[in-house]
Amino acid sequence: MNIKACLSLTKAGITEQMSFRLGIFTVFAGNLIYLTIIYFLWKAIFDSAPTQTVSGMSFSDTMIYLVLAMALFNFMEVYLVWIMGRNIQSGKIILDLLKPMPLISYMFFESAGFLVVNFVLTLLPTMGIVYFISGRAFSLSINLVFFFIAALLGLAINYFINFFVATICIFTESIWGINIMKEVVILLFSGASIPLAFFPEQLLKVVYKLPFQAIYNTPLTLLIGKNITILQSFQMIGIQGFWVAVTGIIAVLFFRFALRRITVNGG
Amino acid sequence: MKKLQFYIRIYQKILVQDLKSKMSYRTDFIISTLGMILTNIVGMVTFWIMFQKFTNINGWNYHEMLFLYGFSLIALTPMQCFFDNNWNLRNHVYSGDFIKYCFRPINVFFYFISEVFDIKGIGQFFMGSVALSYAWIKLDLDVSIWILLKLFIALVTASLFMISIMNIAAATCFWIINSGYIMVTIFKFTEYARYPANIYQSVFRFCFTFIIPIAFVAYYPSLTFLRPDQIPILTQIAPLLGILFFILSYKIWMKGATTYSGTGS
Repeated sequence: MNIKACLSLTKAGITEQMSFRLGIFTVFAGNLIYLTIIYFLWKAIFDSAPTQTVSGMSFSDTMIYLVLAMALFNFMEVYLVWIMGRNIQSGKIILDLLKPMPLISYMFFESAGFLVVNFVLTLLPTMGIVYFISGRAFSLSINLVFFFIAALLGLAINYFINFFVATICIFTESIWGINIMKEVVILLFSGASIPLAFFPEQLLKVVYKLPFQAIYNTPLTLLIGKNITILQSFQMIGIQGFWVAVTGIIAVLFFRFALRRITVNGG
Repeated sequence: MKKLQFYIRIYQKILVQDLKSKMSYRTDFIISTLGMILTNIVGMVTFWIMFQKFTNINGWNYHEMLFLYGFSLIALTPMQCFFDNNWNLRNHVYSGDFIKYCFRPINVFFYFISEVFDIKGIGQFFMGSVALSYAWIKLDLDVSIWILLKLFIALVTASLFMISIMNIAAATCFWIINSGYIMVTIFKFTEYARYPANIYQSVFRFCFTFIIPIAFVAYYPSLTFLRPDQIPILTQIAPLLGILFFILSYKIWMKGATTYSGTGS
């Protein structure tokens, strides 16, 4: 693959994102509001609970988990379904398909600039703030390395799932409905809205067999989990690698199948 | 009165056109409705999971929370069905298309809003009714004409607040370019309308009551049914506040529309 092309696409994305600085600011404000609301919500929940810790999680554990999950969510959000869905409806997709690069990588590097900006402007600051406010909720050692690897793999899984879902738009001409289904399923089963620790046993068994928990829960467990051995870390990364391969292959194959069916209106 | 008849007739005409164009995307309609229903089912599952490990939230039990949830879903429906075009406002303003709405001899707000009727709101209404009825039965609340009338008024009030919040959020695009983030952010708020407002402390409760009044979308109106012995004054004057707030949001929207200068295209 042409590295120079990938880099210039990324650079264009960064420039594009930087020209909408107000947008970044409002995302930041939105997150603050979200944090305030979940803070009060979980505070009320824990205050009403008879014990300090529930399922091994205290109030501050829960908050740290949810804040970091939110930071990861913002970092990985690519709006791919919307972008591709609109391109399919308008016919612009034909121009993207003509590019001398497979669409799956072209779309990735087109969003890569956003990812870089989000990484620097939301993920890193949030982690820093959590680290200082919580009084060192996570140690700064090998787990950080595992976390960043796991976050990248999680990003890949999330991207492939998004690409798969975006491909469905070729058949359905529906964007909103498809996207919202994907979003709610990922948010629930990845543990981003309720930490997986609070799930009932039976449900948890199912959740651990799905790829969604590998997106946010694995990196977060590697970062803040207590008493995780190096071996366990490698195992978790291995499972993530498995899901990257599975979702990647399905996304590519499904897209190839869909390309034979595509009808483009105008362009 | 004649004017009202005129507007109703126009609305029917535009509605029929919109439905005709929607019907050519039948799959989209089915998938959107399914998406809406799935979203609401996941919302209820979220509550269910929470209440597996916790028994109450600040004195609100599972069924009361479900009541608030169902109530808020129904209250969101009118906004979803009739005011959905607000989501497209920023694109129209940005591209310059908005100017076409200014050249019609009818009210700009009315014409713009009536252009889209979003059918998928019906799925939400259905799920909201299921949740509300289930909670109503489980909580063993009375059923009488009087109560149902009160429920109707409470739902209308809540809807007015919801619509007004989104009107103002949409209208920001007349002054701020690319203000989609504002709408998304505000809309995120409304998802938290389903939680009882008494979990927030002083300053925030004030904000959610008077600045971004999401507490009126489910919490205050629901108190009439869930806490009948201690109804606060805000619940009693909520219908009036709802109407005033709607008028305010309309004025802001229209102010934006009249300052709109187009893009020259």
